[in-house]
Parts: sequence; C-alpha cells; structure tokens
Amino acid sequence: MKSQPPIKISVHDFHVFHEQEESLRGISIEVKANRILGIIGPAGAGKTTFLRALNRLNDLAPDMHVEGRVLLDGQDIYHPSFDVVPLRKRVGMLFALPVALPMSIFENVVYGPRLSGVRNRARLNEIVERSLTSAFLWDEVKDRLQMSGLRLSGGQQQRLCLARVLAMEEMEVILLDEPCSGLDPISTAKIEEALTILKARYTIILVTNNTKQAARVADETAFFLSGEMVEYGDTEQIFTVPRDVRTSDYVTGRFG
Amino acid sequence: MILTIIVIVVLIFAWLPLAVIFMVGVAIALPLGVGTAVYLGEYTRETRLTRALRFGTDCLAGIPSIIFGLFGFIFFVVMLKMGWCLLSGGLTLAIMVLPTIIRTSEEAIRSVPNAYREVSFSLGATRWETVLKVVLPNALPGIVTGVMLAIGRSIGETAAVIFTAGSSLRMPNSMFDSVRTMSVHFYILACEGISDEKAYATAAVLIISVLLVNLAAYGMMHHFISRRAR
Repeated sequence: MKSQPPIKISVHDFHVFHEQEESLRGISIEVKANRILGIIGPAGAGKTTFLRALNRLNDLAPDMHVEGRVLLDGQDIYHPSFDVVPLRKRVGMLFALPVALPMSIFENVVYGPRLSGVRNRARLNEIVERSLTSAFLWDEVKDRLQMSGLRLSGGQQQRLCLARVLAMEEMEVILLDEPCSGLDPISTAKIEEALTILKARYTIILVTNNTKQAARVADETAFFLSGEMVEYGDTEQIFTVPRDVRTSDYVTGRFG
Repeated sequence: MILTIIVIVVLIFAWLPLAVIFMVGVAIALPLGVGTAVYLGEYTRETRLTRALRFGTDCLAGIPSIIFGLFGFIFFVVMLKMGWCLLSGGLTLAIMVLPTIIRTSEEAIRSVPNAYREVSFSLGATRWETVLKVVLPNALPGIVTGVMLAIGRSIGETAAVIFTAGSSLRMPNSMFDSVRTMSVHFYILACEGISDEKAYATAAVLIISVLLVNLAAYGMMHHFISRRAR
C-alpha cells in the first residue's frame, strides 16, 4: 500500500448561489497536497465558480452567497474571522485570458512580493529570475525586463502570469482556470511542463475544457456537470473505467 | 532688457492672483473629487444613494457660475466672515469644478478593465492597494483630462470670483487679501469703459495663459503615459 499524501483542501457539501440560482450544488472533495487535480466538464458546469470559490474571488461578485465549508489546512476559509488577503497570498490564480498588468515585466512579477513588503532590490531581482525561470520565460525576456508586459505574446503573457503567482513566497496552492484555452501548442506544452515540475512544491488545481490535457497532466480528475461533481478519482481510472455513465460519455466525446 | 523685465513683472502681477486662486481650487477639488469618484466606482454597489449622488453632481455641473459666486459670497465671505480674499475665491472655484472632476474621474476609473482588479485581488492586494497601484495609474489620463477641463473653466472664471475674491488691484500678501484676477480685470476695464485697449491686452494674456497651461498639462500627461508604456 502506498502512503497517502496529506489533504490540502477539503470541501464539504459546498453550495454557491448567484441571486436565486444555485451554481454549485453540494460539492464535497478532498484535494491532496502536491498533486495536480484536473477538473473537467462542459461549459456551465460550475468549474470556474468552484475554482474562484477556493480563493474567494467570488466575493467580488454582488448577490453571491455560499453554504458549506472549505477547509485549507484544516481552517475554514469562509469563517468570518478568516482574513481573505493572506488567503489569496497562499492560494494563487491563473485566469483563462492572460492578463499582464500594464506595467513592466519586472513590475508584473514583483507585484505580489512588493505587497508583502519586499523592498530590497537584490532580493527582488533574485525573485524575478527564479520565478521567470520556473515559468519557462526567463530566456525569452531576460534582456528586456523593463519592457511593458502588454507587449508580450499571449503565450508569453500567460507564463508571465504564472511567474507572478510563483513569485509569492507564501504561495501553496495554484488554481488554473483553463490557462491554455487561447494558447498555441508550444506555449501549452511549456505551461504543462512547468506544472508537472511545480507540483513538487505546490498543490495545483487545473480546470480545463480540454479533456486530453487533464489526461496528460492531472494525477486526479473530477468531472463536473451542471453544478454537481459526478465523479472523482485517479485520472487513469476516470479515463479508462469511469464508474458513472455520464463520465464515460463525456470523456469519450459522446457529448459536451 | 528693460522691456523684458517689465513684461515679466507685468506677467507676475497678472499671473499670481489667478495662479493662486485656481491652485487653491484644484488643490481642494482634486483630492475630494477623485476620492468621491473612487468611492462611487470602487467601494459601493449601485444603490439609491449612489444614483442620487451622481444625479446631484450632474445637476451641479450645469449650474451657472454666477450662482456659485453668490453662494460663495454668502457662505465664505459673509457667514464664515472670511471677507473678499484669495481663499474664499479658491474655495468657491473648488466647489464649482468639483462635479466636473468627479464625473470625469469616475468615467476614467470605470474604464479600467475589471480583469486588472481581479488579478490584483488574486495576488493578495487589498482594495486600497488595488486602487492605488492599478486603478488610479490606469485612470490617470482621464483624471488629468478632467482636471484640465476644471482648470480651463476656473482660469476664465469671472462671476464666481468677483463676488468672493473681490477686485483689489494690490499685490496680495496672504491668502486673506483681496485680489483681482485677469478675467475680473478685463470685465471691469471693459464694463466701466476705462480702457478698451488694456482690456483686450488683458484678454490676450489670459488666452495665451490658458494655452500654456493646457500645453504643459498635456506634455506632462504624455510624459507619464510614455514612461508607463515603455
């Protein structure tokens, strides 16, 4: 019997309501540390809502409320006394569309560390080099760090966004919301390669519309459908012997 | 040589009251206006109160300046016993240009893409840090435009100033001295038939001043933008 990795995030009967509509209907899942969890499902299944709930970005939407519990290292992140700012420093997010902030590449990467109070120039330089290297972007931009991040290509911008998340030293969990949906195959491959290396240090949750991508990189896979989690298990099992007929229909491409 | 000195002295006489008055006005209206715009755009949801505030500022923006002048006269000059002075004039101008600054700043803040805010929040920034580091820098050109409109309006302002800053011809020694701005000077010269030539000379200096201020502000704005976009 192989030893089980510790549980990083545990979600109990979690509901999300937007006004009257219930976008997530009772999700329960345990996310293991230092693994990549892939979340697949058709559009409107609640994958993104679930992801955004994990670092409480949904808080920004008006008329939204949640029920149930989300525990990060055993602490309820929706507890009134839980401070959302340090939470977001531990749980980072990569969006579907790469968004470089309109500032230099350097400033983009050190945005998070600067907020945490890192001022030392040498330290910032070191953070920039380390994060850009981990995101496979260093070689392409090392000579033009003062250039605006907006002038990078889409694939480069997405890796810049990844570097920006990696630059934060408190980071423990990385949430990725279809990070490769607008990217070319080479950029996609670079992101995927980065993820498989990064899981040694981080817990990664990857929402993807591309089932093949989940099959390639995820250790575990969850299948979402209309706000419910239909099935959750080892990626190999989900893609070869799914227990639920809806899962098997989806992964074999019969619908969705 | 002597001519240059005379020109400079004359310009200082012409400029100083005007410059101080509109600097007081903008110095008060800018933080207040941008603050209100940040509050409306970032810190509240759309409620009856914000709609009322917005409606109020729109109404204020359309009020003729003579009304502000009379208000400033009653409130600052008489009620607060400040008398005709630079400060009363500046405060009145501040109230007058506030709606313009609020509305243009709010539009500028609104036009900053939401994705930028989300990224900033997702990196653990507080709302205030997001406003300071992402929203305001990106809204800057719009805010500068609003301030330009405000300055343009206050430089040429006569009615709001004549009742609040007075029309003394002396050089002011403090904020509590009465002054005469160029537009008031023009008004008095022309209206009382003292000297048409001097009235139009004043008008020329005034128009050139407006042009210079605008050029300087646009130059500054382009400098900011190009520095950020590098």
